[in-house]
Amino acid sequence: MNESKQFYNLKIFHWLDERYHISDLIGYMKKKSVPNFRATVWYYFGGIALLLFIVQVVTGILLLMYYKGSSDLAYESVRYIDSKVNFGWLIRSIHSWSANLFIFAVFVHMFSVYFFKVFRKPRELTWYTGIALLLFSLTFGFSGYLLPWNELSFFATKVGTDIIGQLPLVGKYLLKLLRGGNDVTGATLSRFFGLHVAILPGLFTVILTFHLLFIQRQGVSEPEKWQNTPESQKSYIPFFPNFVLREFLIWLIVINILAILAVFFPWELGNKANEFASAPTGIKPEWYFISMFQVLKFLPGEILFLPGEVLGILLFGVGILLWVFVPVWDKKTNEGSRNRLINYIGIFVVLFMIIFTFLGYYLD
Amino acid sequence: MTNKLFIPFCITLLLLNIVVEGRALLMQKETEDQCIVCHLEIGDNLAKIANDFKLSIHYKKGIRCTNCHGGDATSDDMDIAMSKEKGFIGIPKREVSYQLCIKCHADQNVMKNYGSNLPTDQFDKLRKSVHSKQMIGKNEMVADCITCHGIHDIVPIDNPVSRVYPTKIPALCGGCHSNPNYMKNYNPKLPVDQVEKYRTSVHGKLNRQGNTDVAECVSCHGNHEIRSVEDPKSSVYAINIPQVCSGCHSDVAKMKRYKIPTNQYSLFVNSVHGIQLLKNMDLSAPSCNDCHGNHGAVPPGIESISNVCGTCHALNEELFSQSPHRKAFDQRKIPECEICHGNHGIQTVSDDMLGVGKGATCIKCHNVNDNNKGYMTAKIMKSLIDSLKDDDLSAKKIVDEAIQKGMDVSDASYNLKNVRQVLIETRTVLHNVNLKKYKESISKGFEITSKAKEAGRDAIDEYYFRRKGLGIVTIIVTFLVILLYLKIRKLEKNK
Repeated sequence: MNESKQFYNLKIFHWLDERYHISDLIGYMKKKSVPNFRATVWYYFGGIALLLFIVQVVTGILLLMYYKGSSDLAYESVRYIDSKVNFGWLIRSIHSWSANLFIFAVFVHMFSVYFFKVFRKPRELTWYTGIALLLFSLTFGFSGYLLPWNELSFFATKVGTDIIGQLPLVGKYLLKLLRGGNDVTGATLSRFFGLHVAILPGLFTVILTFHLLFIQRQGVSEPEKWQNTPESQKSYIPFFPNFVLREFLIWLIVINILAILAVFFPWELGNKANEFASAPTGIKPEWYFISMFQVLKFLPGEILFLPGEVLGILLFGVGILLWVFVPVWDKKTNEGSRNRLINYIGIFVVLFMIIFTFLGYYLD
Repeated sequence: MTNKLFIPFCITLLLLNIVVEGRALLMQKETEDQCIVCHLEIGDNLAKIANDFKLSIHYKKGIRCTNCHGGDATSDDMDIAMSKEKGFIGIPKREVSYQLCIKCHADQNVMKNYGSNLPTDQFDKLRKSVHSKQMIGKNEMVADCITCHGIHDIVPIDNPVSRVYPTKIPALCGGCHSNPNYMKNYNPKLPVDQVEKYRTSVHGKLNRQGNTDVAECVSCHGNHEIRSVEDPKSSVYAINIPQVCSGCHSDVAKMKRYKIPTNQYSLFVNSVHGIQLLKNMDLSAPSCNDCHGNHGAVPPGIESISNVCGTCHALNEELFSQSPHRKAFDQRKIPECEICHGNHGIQTVSDDMLGVGKGATCIKCHNVNDNNKGYMTAKIMKSLIDSLKDDDLSAKKIVDEAIQKGMDVSDASYNLKNVRQVLIETRTVLHNVNLKKYKESISKGFEITSKAKEAGRDAIDEYYFRRKGLGIVTIIVTFLVILLYLKIRKLEKNK
């Protein structure tokens, strides 16, 4: 029985190999290796993010079968998914939880890449495409948050878009463009829906393809300190099957965590948004925007003849630009020497995000 | 005295008497009000005015024609007495005639000097009343002092000849208020049959008999400060009416002679209607006049009680009218709604009023021996309504448990709210005393609770199903993870 199965498998393999030269691909993957050292664990977060993105796409497509993107029906359709559609609650909860875990994984991936200085030559484009993917992920989160059209999402979107409206010169136009008018209305929902299910997935897939192609072409980056380490002291594991199996094992655990979260902490729907009601207390954006939101709240009304919020947004903009273009200004790392400033900046940013996110929740 | 001296003495005395008498006559003519004297001499209407004035309170208090008209009352020469030089103004202009009244009546000191303790705020009050509106086409108030009190013949109000004596008030007010042509100029929506209705009321009948105790127009509407019934400051504004009526009807001494109770107000204040009207300021709640009428106020007759209550509780009244109770009550002279609900002190209804238990009103007539059918119907009705309430509670408990478990049972939870509506409907249908209709109504409630229970139980089952499913998935995943781990270990060991 076992032999016949092996034979059958082999026959299929040959059939496929004859047509698609799979053995070449396996051979290529077998030649690829991944550095094996103390911090290899961080290497898995890219794969975790990829898994969660796939989960997002699959569950998102399933939700699309019932979701209705209009202010009159959005809330009711999500309620219907939650209460009437078979396993609708599970799909929606997994979609919501995986969206959050996805952004978390992308952030961890970005910081690990940053601290390993993987952005250095020759992987600048991998870094830029990764940053683009992070920004798209945040936009995914921001646009998706409004889609259930509930009270919290409605007012959080109002606050979020208000902040965008504070941007100098383009703020007002951007605000109107995003909202489809002066206020958050059904028009905003339609825009966000289109952005969430059509524009962003398309752009994200293209950038992700490039990001993965760059990694496949250039291989997995080695740690910075290996530059002067003799080859005999370096340890590697084959990408296939060892690293792939390890990644698959982690994926299984992540899937199980998602299931546990969905069952024990189903994503709440709350009350339907009412455009004429006053904002409920404790309105705040999603956790990944909390640190910035909290800083803007702390800033005084006016600093140096500029409104505090505007100055804060400008400073954030400058900070993000510096972060994005680190491969350009960090000459030292590119030249092969160790740049501690990069580490200090990274630690500062991580602490900044943790502390202000904590304050954002704690102070309410 | 000799005879010679007697004659001159008599002549002297006679002359002396003539001089003294003449002087006295002269003096009397000089002090007499020449206006009255002259007007009496002229006769006709002028003499009537003079006579009326002489009988008035004003004349008795020393007020003379000249106080209002000016002129000189001491001169018997008409040209002098009624000359402009002497300040004669003739008939005062109507639009300012009230100024002559308030010259004294708004001044406490002047009134005191005349020994009067009348209030001095009448005109202030009048200015706040609906009567101070400007008359159409004229620069004067719709009703001012003289409209009601008259001019020359003013006497105290407790004098039966006074125009504002209680028995004369209805006719006085009706002078304008019963005139549709006049009233439509100022308030077309105001009825003009108040006096007519009033005459049909107990108050009106007694008033016509000369009873000055009973309420007439001013007793309720006030006198000088009459405001629109829609004005919250009006004494006849819905919320103020119970207080106005109780002014007399809670007066034990006053009511004693009519042999009617005086506890209506205290009962009403604590009744469901009283609380709604007086505490919650709900103007849709009935005040005294809504049941008893206002101008035609009478106690409702036994057979008309349901019609009175039915003004608001229309459906209950309709169902009651079609019920076997209607005929039975009328035959036995049982006061319809009142026998179960009471009158002035109506309390919030309770389901305990139904059935055969303690506090039930059904057993006032039905008992297990005499009227078994009615007794059994009451018993079944009560047990059905109690069952539905119990069922509703247990359904809520199941649905709440599902909600606590984080399950979405919003439909069931929402539908359960309709049980309250079914209960209200059933309590209304109850007035028809038809067991078949009653069961039809209450069964809708049982249907809702049964569906809600089912939805709640399904949600709870689903909750455990989810957990079981998660357990199975976790076992499979753990098994796969272990397998993978062993495979990886084996791979790396071999290497």
